Amino acid sequence: MSARRKCHLRAPGAGDLAEAELVDELSKDDLIRAHLDWAPVRLMALKRLHEAKLPWPEHWHWDWSKKADMLDLLAYRCMGIEQDGRMQGLMMLSTIAAKGRLKAQEGKAVLYIEFLESAPWNLRALVEAPKFLGVGIRLLEAAIALSEEEGFGGRIGLHSLPQSEDFYRKYMTDLGPDSSQSQGLRYFEMSTEQMHNFLEGKKP
Amino acid sequence: MATELTKRTMTLNLTDAEMRVLELLSSQKDLSKTAVIRQALRLYQLLDNRLSKGEKLFFEDTAKGEKAELMLMI
Repeated sequence: MSARRKCHLRAPGAGDLAEAELVDELSKDDLIRAHLDWAPVRLMALKRLHEAKLPWPEHWHWDWSKKADMLDLLAYRCMGIEQDGRMQGLMMLSTIAAKGRLKAQEGKAVLYIEFLESAPWNLRALVEAPKFLGVGIRLLEAAIALSEEEGFGGRIGLHSLPQSEDFYRKYMTDLGPDSSQSQGLRYFEMSTEQMHNFLEGKKP
Repeated sequence: MATELTKRTMTLNLTDAEMRVLELLSSQKDLSKTAVIRQALRLYQLLDNRLSKGEKLFFEDTAKGEKAELMLMI
């Protein structure tokens, strides 16, 4: 059974913080519901971008309902941030330890983030005025917490789409393009020191 | 921030050799023995799932140019 923990998102429109909940283990139904909620909003936003001849976000085709079957396996876990009954962000994690690649933590267990996405109404790439900011930060915090809980020392790693590289470069070490990854995406890893800096400095 | 899910306790009977391997892996990977067992279970289920769908598992030694399928009875 999933547990819920209060967290906060920045709500620029309201000029304040909004209370939200981190749901630490989502079900397949949760993912399908989130997809049904997000898909029409994403389509409308893509239509607007298309008409304005603006670039689309690289992950525009992600469909969380198609990732739901991953949750049949212990090897995957999905977390989300819910606010007012709607998912504001989703994160799929591999709970099978990946091997650390940073020199200081080479070979040590790292929690690998498979997918991380904010709801379409929170993405600057899709809407002019995002409803909530800080969703990615909250999800990274949750990944660090799970990494600690799993005995991985808070270490996390991921491959980033090019449009998100600048975001991850602020908090993690860029280890360059990974030839073993099917799309050759750049691999990012957070060291223990970076984790402490991140947790201390990135509260809303 | 993440909260631990409900957990259940069981007794695990291992031979001396199995316990030595568990302790060695625990030390090498810097993980608790429980975490090693959890990792093994997750990996076992993942492999079983992929193999049951007809996928194959290979080990490749790029330096030697060798590639061998791992046949598992799981």
